[in-house]
Amino acid sequence: MKRRFEQRLRFVWLALSAITLAQLALGSLGQQDALTPNAVVTSSAIAIALIKVRVIIREFMEVRHAPVLLCRLADLWVVVTGVSLLGSYFVGMAHSAG
Amino acid sequence: MTTVQVSVAPRADGSDERAASSEKPGGVRFVPGQPDMWAFVLFEALVFTSYFTVYVIRRTQSPGPFLQSQTHLDLHVGVFNTLVLLASSWSVARCVQATREGSFRAALNNAYLTMLFGVVFLVSKVREWATAIAQGFSFTTDEFFSFYYFLTGIHFLHLLIGFVVLGVAVSRIRSAAGAAPELVETCATYWHTIDFLWVLIFALLYVMR
Amino acid sequence: MSATTTGAVPAMPSGSLMRRIAWHCRYDEKRELWIGWWTLVAFYNLYGLLFFVLARTQPPPQPSLGPAEIVQWFDDRRSGLLYGYAIVSIVGGATAIMTATLAYTMRRMSVSRAFAYSYLLIYALATLPGMLIMGVACTVGAMRPDRDHALVSWLYDFAFLSFEGTMGVFLVGSLIWMAAVLLDKNRVFPMWFGYLNLCNALTEVVVAPAWIFRRGVFAWDGAIAWWINMAVFVTYTTVFLTLLRGMIVREDFGSGPLPELASDRAPASAGTLGAAR
Repeated sequence: MKRRFEQRLRFVWLALSAITLAQLALGSLGQQDALTPNAVVTSSAIAIALIKVRVIIREFMEVRHAPVLLCRLADLWVVVTGVSLLGSYFVGMAHSAG
Repeated sequence: MTTVQVSVAPRADGSDERAASSEKPGGVRFVPGQPDMWAFVLFEALVFTSYFTVYVIRRTQSPGPFLQSQTHLDLHVGVFNTLVLLASSWSVARCVQATREGSFRAALNNAYLTMLFGVVFLVSKVREWATAIAQGFSFTTDEFFSFYYFLTGIHFLHLLIGFVVLGVAVSRIRSAAGAAPELVETCATYWHTIDFLWVLIFALLYVMR
Repeated sequence: MSATTTGAVPAMPSGSLMRRIAWHCRYDEKRELWIGWWTLVAFYNLYGLLFFVLARTQPPPQPSLGPAEIVQWFDDRRSGLLYGYAIVSIVGGATAIMTATLAYTMRRMSVSRAFAYSYLLIYALATLPGMLIMGVACTVGAMRPDRDHALVSWLYDFAFLSFEGTMGVFLVGSLIWMAAVLLDKNRVFPMWFGYLNLCNALTEVVVAPAWIFRRGVFAWDGAIAWWINMAVFVTYTTVFLTLLRGMIVREDFGSGPLPELASDRAPASAGTLGAAR
């Protein structure tokens, strides 16, 4: 029983690390275009980061097992952050391009 | 502040109910650590969201200079930092689990391991700053670097506080063997916050374009 | 010293507000605490009005203004500055009552009295950069319209750097209060308030770059150094005023753990005459 939890933790850690390494690979690929703003790279970077954050919160911080209020508050923060960052980026880029 | 935590009765083998419930989805629901720490975590996370938003807005107002300066950051170092903190989150989560099971030796080892990962991060960060400064990029060089030093700096400060928090956890594990693990969980909650805030900082400073 | 020592205390009269206030002034054991609390509430509101509405020194203007623009800034606010800070200089002493009330909360805790005394000292000192220096500098700047522009610029920088940039004092004060709350066994304040003090302290750190930057988000009027910092500070102040009220209601003048709030009314304990508040 305990082993299952330990295995889950280990899996989560490895998965998060793998995603991080994937980000390294993606980042290295786009080096020649390093000076152009890229909405795809940016939004996927932010989205992936938020997914990682949510996994950390739900798995490592055990919010999965927390009362519903805490789950909702944590998710609300993730959503607010996502909207705020992606919204600012797209609105801001539209303004500076136009 | 009333806690929504259900009472956790220690079991005959010294472990507590939560050690088992961790593996049972939909089982007993509990708040890991003090709800008070969660209030802090959510509030601080919101403050960081506001800092990040200001950064993104300023970045979109002058994308060229920001991109130019960003090329001077080493993505590999950022990835390394992220991996180190992810590992530290893993070890502190294992520390909490060990505390619940009553395996205090294992709990201590994991706590020390977490501290070690923290130190590795600190050293790496200081070296990164030193390298950047040696190359002529300081706090006042340009806006990107102001944000870089600011965000990594304030995160660094949180990490330093994290060592104090881990110290509290260690002293609890050593002195009150058999006591409820709430304090250790509270400390772990704080530590995980340092990790997930870094995940966002990494994406915003090193990866986004 | 209070009416309770001389015999039975008359029941609080129902009826007009004035009669009830008079009764509290005569018989309430906690009247000094309530005077302290109301002073805090009144002062912070007045402070907000004076700085934001009358003198209009907050939100702060840009550090990057040139001498001619700075003189214009003073011109636009001349009477507001002079009247506003005249009022500040009269009521400024109220900070002594406020700081004493907050230090009292630390005395009530189970931690060493050194916490209360250090807090008292720090916040007594904090009145200087937090209010008085800026008041003097702004009124000097506003006083003579024909003053040399370079001097007026100097006063402008001096006023705003001393006001916005000296957050270190409040930082340490917050940390002292945080440590006291976290170590306290009498549960005077909840743990999360201790952590909120840490939040407040960390946002004060964030103001430090205001000494370095004259424009942008880290300048003394910047989005990060002022606006976000102010949002956290206002939240923090509102929270501690509310908690302080709860603490006074719960106060039993003992030295052990403070009783919890049973309901909207104070817990029944001898001489708790503030029950109807």
